[in-house]
Amino acid sequence: MLKKDLILKSPVSKTIGIDNVKDGKFGAVLSRAGVGKTSFLVQIALTQLLGNEKILHISLDDSMEKINIRYNEGYTNLVDCIGYVDPQKAVRVWEDINPNKVGISYNESTFDTQKIGDYLKSFIKADLALPSILIIDGLNFDKDISDKLDALEDLNREFSIFTWFSMKIHREEELCADGFPIQLETYKDRFDKAVFLNPIEDKIEAIILKDGDRTDQKHKLDPATMMIVEYT
Amino acid sequence: MIRDLKRVRNIGISAHIDSGKTTLTERILFYTDKIHKINEVRGKDGTGAVMDSMELEKERGITIASAATYCEWDKHNINIIDTPGHVDFTVEVERSLRVLDGVVLILCSVSGVQSQSITVDQQMKRYQVPCIAFVNKCDRSGANPIKVSRQLKDKLGHNSVMMQLPIGLEDKHEGVIDLVAMKAYYFEGENGEEVVVKEIPEDRMEEAQIAREEMIDAASLFSEELTDAILEENDITEELIMQAVRTGTIAREMTPVFLGSAYKNKAVQPLLNAVIDYLPSPLEIENEAIDLDNNEETVILESSDFDKPTVALAFKLEDGQYGQLTYIRVYQGCINKGDTLINSRDGKKIKAGRLIRMHSSQMEDVEAIPSGHIGAMFGIDCASGDTFVSPKINYSMLAMHVMEPVISLSIVPKDNKAQINMSKALNRFTKEDPTFKTYMDHETGDTIIQGMGELHLEVYVERMKREYDAEVETGQPRVAYRETITKKALFNYTHKKQTGGAGQFGRVSGFMEPCEEEFEFVNKITGGRIPTQYIPACEKGFQACMDKGPKLEFPVTGIKVTINDGAYHAVDSSEMAFQSAARGGFLEAYGKAKPVIKEPIMKVVIETPNEFQGACMGLINQRRGIIQGSQEEGVMSVIESAVPLSDMFGFSTVLRSGTQGKAQFTMEFLTYKKVPQSVAEEIARKKLEEKTKKK
Repeated sequence: MLKKDLILKSPVSKTIGIDNVKDGKFGAVLSRAGVGKTSFLVQIALTQLLGNEKILHISLDDSMEKINIRYNEGYTNLVDCIGYVDPQKAVRVWEDINPNKVGISYNESTFDTQKIGDYLKSFIKADLALPSILIIDGLNFDKDISDKLDALEDLNREFSIFTWFSMKIHREEELCADGFPIQLETYKDRFDKAVFLNPIEDKIEAIILKDGDRTDQKHKLDPATMMIVEYT
Repeated sequence: MIRDLKRVRNIGISAHIDSGKTTLTERILFYTDKIHKINEVRGKDGTGAVMDSMELEKERGITIASAATYCEWDKHNINIIDTPGHVDFTVEVERSLRVLDGVVLILCSVSGVQSQSITVDQQMKRYQVPCIAFVNKCDRSGANPIKVSRQLKDKLGHNSVMMQLPIGLEDKHEGVIDLVAMKAYYFEGENGEEVVVKEIPEDRMEEAQIAREEMIDAASLFSEELTDAILEENDITEELIMQAVRTGTIAREMTPVFLGSAYKNKAVQPLLNAVIDYLPSPLEIENEAIDLDNNEETVILESSDFDKPTVALAFKLEDGQYGQLTYIRVYQGCINKGDTLINSRDGKKIKAGRLIRMHSSQMEDVEAIPSGHIGAMFGIDCASGDTFVSPKINYSMLAMHVMEPVISLSIVPKDNKAQINMSKALNRFTKEDPTFKTYMDHETGDTIIQGMGELHLEVYVERMKREYDAEVETGQPRVAYRETITKKALFNYTHKKQTGGAGQFGRVSGFMEPCEEEFEFVNKITGGRIPTQYIPACEKGFQACMDKGPKLEFPVTGIKVTINDGAYHAVDSSEMAFQSAARGGFLEAYGKAKPVIKEPIMKVVIETPNEFQGACMGLINQRRGIIQGSQEEGVMSVIESAVPLSDMFGFSTVLRSGTQGKAQFTMEFLTYKKVPQSVAEEIARKKLEEKTKKK
């Protein structure tokens, strides 16, 4: 019951839609540095965990400990957002979902899809359910990473796994003709979904840049918790 | 032994496996003139390190037992305990920390903070032991002591402060820059025994000045004088810095970091200076005991007064060729040859006969062991953790934290001679090591040994063979499963036997529910429904059921029993009748309380070259393991996971073959968890098979 309530309160329910989170191949959360890409990705992952799915979170910036702390914080924010929750119940749910998350910290130079593939194969070998989504946080889209994206598309095909990326953009860069930041523009055909986090005054505006008929929807988020503050 | 306790240090050397603890100790003994030749842990001559005195230690290149030794440096007495790095022998580390005043935490300059460093750190916290860090192996390829110092901060939460900078790293590692004296130290001579002090190389001066400022900044938090000197821009003397760092270290609020390479004989001497400069003397540590004659009140022991009644703790036993050797730390007073002491555990009188201090396997006779020192006594019959006191007081030192064993193995002696020797060996091992237990399985007649891991038991089986000539055949390792309940259930049971002669009658009523403790008994009987004299019998009856659970005959844990009603008969009730009633009540409620089987879950940490990361994670997946995360550190990856112990048997072979022998793992007990239904069914099936076989 608590799991369902938490899913409903998630900012992901309002912005992307729970059933829509893994519909396609690739999704991206874009923003300038420090706005909250990772926190939003964690919220995406939490909706899957609360739906009893597994997730694989790969970070090229954060250590394993830091990944765990971010999930802990994300979960606490989500629980706080629904008002009073029996603390024991909240802990029980956390203990239930936490083992389904695997955080891996790589250096960008040694990040290799082969290792992820090996790991995913072991799920099949051990007759275990595969993770439903893969989060890749910290991949540098300023460089040419076509090869890496090709390899990740192969993973997507082989293991039916949807991948969400963080995509860092830069303040000084202008948007392209169709309103996309250059990082997304370069690879736009590969992405089914894109959420842009734009700080406005004391809020963050989550703008759907790419997601079929949801495109251009806007939602306001609390920058401290990434929870929805206003629905427009 | 020096009586001026300011000039005594009792230190331990702790770290992860293969960080070079024994190598460092060996160098310390060489530089302090205790040995005249350096023997390597895995030397080509097969001699092995002096500190690894057990044959098995020399062969495997690991330290199993703590060896105690002492040395002298700069007119100070340093007592050193070399502790094992393998988690299976963790009780040795626990025992050492209990009696030490300070620790040198060794970290590998390449691998940094590893899983066992975390365990050791937790143990240090538990016993509030101050530490300094030594980043060893700076000559190894990939050495990065600054990164390791940062890891101390990030992973262990230490306020680590670099006290030195390296001069060259990897194969160019020559020496260190001392940031207090602002000098460069080089180590020359065949074994690095000549410390050559030079000016800091010009190209390193700026870097050294920045690091010194950072260090002084951190130290200033512990000294007003130093803060004043900084603010008033006065001269900052070496003494001022050292005093501030010492204060911070002893308060456990600062960890000074030193570096070098013990194997290449670099910077061991400055580390010895640091032991004296920054780790506390026995006078600076407050030790407590409890007064058994005074409501177990806490008493602070006075180590400075040798005339006070003696208080000493036995922290390790060894059975040598001259009988049992008991290692002790004296906390108050002084043990003189011929003194009468009382073992406060059983009140038995003992006479201190031969007193010695140890240098690994060699010993030196002494007349007395004064307070603040570590030594050993011969021919005393006692157990590890016993307190010895003068006859006029009745104090006990607080007990050490000892974990319950998680794995067991049946052993069968090969012949009659082995049977006799095996008993002798087991008797000794169980006295030496509180995590190693043994009992006889009455159903099979087998002797069962229990311990903390496969390696732990393997070593004892090997020692039985080598030291006692007791060859045994071992069975399959078994996991220490437990039973528990998951919901509250009521009972109301009447035990009635009135068939001629004296009858038996007792009724107990109440409920059982899950709890955190092993077993809890609450008496809520009012109005004398069960007379007070029968209440202990009820508790005994319930507790007796905990040894063998009704579900699958595993020990039961985590049950709180509350009795709130009952009945008795003036003639037919007896203690026996109420014990039987309690047993009946337990069985009645147990089935309704949804009993489950719990299994030990181990924290497994694998360190593997990056290319095998995916494969290693796969191995954990195949073992019902849960991967908590993975981290790349240079060319290696660290994988942290939680895996049921029952799925870890033979893992070292599988890991070796899956990674071309390049990965290693450590394993330690994490928690007990409910087993999945399918596994519970499998366990039940095996249990049934065993029972059928026995019949």
